[in-house]
Amino acid sequence: MRVLDKTLNAWQLGILMFVLLFANKILVLPSLLYEGAGFESIFIPVLLFLLEFGLVFLFYRLKTKFPNETFAQILKNHFGNVVKVIIFVIFMFFFLSKAVLLYNVTYIFFRNLIYKDYSNFLFLFCIIPIITHLAVCGLRVMGRTAQLFFPVIIVIIAFCIVVGFFGINSKPLLFEGSLSDFVLTTLKHVSSFGDSIFLFLIMDKAIVKKKQWKIVFGFSLISAILVVLVTVVFALSYTYTAFLHPYAIFEIMSYVKEYGGLGRIDIISMVVIIIFTYFHLAIYLKAFMLSFHEVFRKVNFVYPVITFNLIFLVVIDFFILNLEKAVVYGENVLPYIGIFPFVILPIAVGVLLLLKKRKPEKKDENYMKKSGVEVDETKKVQNSGGKKENLKMTDMNTENLNQVKAFSNENKKDKKFLRKVIGRRESETAN
Amino acid sequence: MLQSIKKQLHNSVDLADRVIKVGEVDVGFVYLKSMTDNLIFSQSIFEPISNFQGELSVEELQQIIKSNDVSQISEEEILKNVLKGAVVILLSNSEKIVAVDIMKYNTRAPSEPPTSAVIMGPREGFTEDFQTNISLLRRCLHSEKLVFESVFVGITTKTQVVVSYLDGVADRKILKEIKKKLENIKIDGVVDSYYLVSLLSGRPNSILKQIGTSEKPDIVAAKMLEGRVALIVDNSPIVLTIPFVFLEDLQSSNDYYTNYVYSTLLRFIRVVAILLATLGPGTYIALQLFHYNVLPLKYLITIANSTQQVPFTPFIEILFIMLLFQILYEVSLRLPSYLGLATSVVGALILGDTGVKAGLISPPAVIVVAIAKIALYTVPEEAAQITLVQYVFLLIGASLGLLGLIGGMIYFLAYANSVENFGAPYLAPFSPFIKKDNKDGLFMVPVGSMKTRPHSFKNENEDRLS
Repeated sequence: MRVLDKTLNAWQLGILMFVLLFANKILVLPSLLYEGAGFESIFIPVLLFLLEFGLVFLFYRLKTKFPNETFAQILKNHFGNVVKVIIFVIFMFFFLSKAVLLYNVTYIFFRNLIYKDYSNFLFLFCIIPIITHLAVCGLRVMGRTAQLFFPVIIVIIAFCIVVGFFGINSKPLLFEGSLSDFVLTTLKHVSSFGDSIFLFLIMDKAIVKKKQWKIVFGFSLISAILVVLVTVVFALSYTYTAFLHPYAIFEIMSYVKEYGGLGRIDIISMVVIIIFTYFHLAIYLKAFMLSFHEVFRKVNFVYPVITFNLIFLVVIDFFILNLEKAVVYGENVLPYIGIFPFVILPIAVGVLLLLKKRKPEKKDENYMKKSGVEVDETKKVQNSGGKKENLKMTDMNTENLNQVKAFSNENKKDKKFLRKVIGRRESETAN
Repeated sequence: MLQSIKKQLHNSVDLADRVIKVGEVDVGFVYLKSMTDNLIFSQSIFEPISNFQGELSVEELQQIIKSNDVSQISEEEILKNVLKGAVVILLSNSEKIVAVDIMKYNTRAPSEPPTSAVIMGPREGFTEDFQTNISLLRRCLHSEKLVFESVFVGITTKTQVVVSYLDGVADRKILKEIKKKLENIKIDGVVDSYYLVSLLSGRPNSILKQIGTSEKPDIVAAKMLEGRVALIVDNSPIVLTIPFVFLEDLQSSNDYYTNYVYSTLLRFIRVVAILLATLGPGTYIALQLFHYNVLPLKYLITIANSTQQVPFTPFIEILFIMLLFQILYEVSLRLPSYLGLATSVVGALILGDTGVKAGLISPPAVIVVAIAKIALYTVPEEAAQITLVQYVFLLIGASLGLLGLIGGMIYFLAYANSVENFGAPYLAPFSPFIKKDNKDGLFMVPVGSMKTRPHSFKNENEDRLS
């Protein structure tokens, strides 16, 4: 489990964000959106991505206010343990549900196109070991591996979009559909978004300097632009037959079959989908593991892995493995789950941000100085990656804590605040 | 005492012991004939002593011997010195013992190593003699900062391992860790540097190469300039370098002696070759067994026509050809060169051609395996690892198809990403992406633009170009 504790830098976090925001939106989503809202469907991803960025921004604010704490600690400190557990159970349910949907859609895609005569077990035999390995190896390994594939993915997707433009054969008119269809379709597919709540689970592991946040936002923006472009190209290519062509990224490439003597270059879109599927499912498993660990604190990491895979297998075998059923599940069951990332969590985070009105770092340092605690400057520089930044609470040792405790007892005015600081530090040390 | 030494060395045939009388004093000589220079012994030791007039003392003995490597040793050190190639001199009138180092044994001259031939650039290679290797390195690095420290490894062999580094460049912590690991090795013998590879690796059971190897002084010197530590093992022409990242094997010394744009092209070709070697046979089988519908029609017809006579499944067919190739490779390595050539001709031309004509194997399968095997040797240092992975991907391709192949690739890369040697991530500077190190990564810039030392691992001085 040593590897699990490692941290993520801005680039790795950005690439994981890219995978999270992009992956499951390029396969069946554009077709379903078009079916529901007509050509105006191209605005649905834009709208939902704005909400998604809102979540990323909320995370950024929370991370700035609570730089050294986990989301679980923050929830526990401010709302109590019960609320924390409930929220993390919802996290578990959310990621598991989305993993099931993603698996089904991808399974059906491959079953229809390249694995016509093979059973579900072949898929599971491929997917389960790989996603388990990625999730167990840790976020850093996952981030680094995704980093290796990133240039390939970007080049292929850009190529697919460029090639897709050759297939455009119509000029549909905007604003012909009804607003109610638009709203209804948006609500139905709201659960396809909201994956960025994964960030809240890795809050303490994401080590991003202030200036580097633009990298994370940049990657998120790239993924949003690419999804919107795929949706637009698909909508323009299959204006009247979208319902017959469910797999957007693959369908926009179908015009180039045997193109220019290059052969079936549409296969490369399949490669991208396979890569995305592995990483996306691994992130879901990792998210499940982290949530599970917060709910059942003392269990070994093996248990969440086994639980996830078992539920995954049972649900998949009982459930779907059929595109119609997957769509019904996605449109009728999952939208309710969308309440979590877009309603419950933002409210909770908003309240937390309101509660945290003070600047934590400088004030903590001032209090420590007041109480006579000496801060190790060398350690400060090391902790902040070579640059002098505000002191982090991690520099306090047991001796210092006792000193602060004694000081807080003497100065009753500051007692409440210092108790909070000590409590937080002690819980960090215990963890 | 002479008898005791003889007994301890089991009356070895090359052990020489002689006693002469110089005045009133008996002078005894013990040495190994196979390890000492007979001429120097006669002219510089024996002659001055036998011609000495008067009562010989240890102090006088040290004065008259015409050698700069004379030392007094204790009784316990006699055996060690004799085995090292020294002449041990005992005097009847003194308890003190003198050792004169006149070690000499046959070594081969530095020549171009077969594993790293170059078109341009230095052609010298290391030899089995560690002192020759030290002098070769000294010739590359005329610096007072060049340090050679000695450690003896192996309970029986007591092999000398020279830890070499540039002071102020190599990281102290890495150096300390290496020395600590070397000192803690409790093995009976180290007969070649490769013995140390698994003993120093962070993950000894891993198939990934974790310690750098080179036979060329210019390569080792360049690596030391980057902040790496070199281990010269006596009796081995392969010098180890630590820390190691995969990129090192992707680079060739030729790259630095030709145009950098051309070198970039070559590096891309090497990456493509590695992918072909690793995934080629597996992908061919996956497409043939699982995804024939994604193959272009003309290609599908060609494959169908050529494979319809073959009695085996595609997996068995490819496996058979790969094994055949491996057998031929092993034979050609072990046979004398004239026989090896004949075997290659028989294997490649006759067996291959006859196999196809007999309908046992199909031409596309032969081509796929041939491409994969040739591609393997664009990065010869990684040939062993890639060969192993090749078989794994062949099995995955045959049983799980494209989904399994890509999954296997992700698994393997994730595994490689989890490996760190002395703090250096195995796949750096690609993942994690280190911008500055990528100046000498897949793309190459002119040497003048490489202003800093690698950031993939720690070193004490970042700047190369002032």
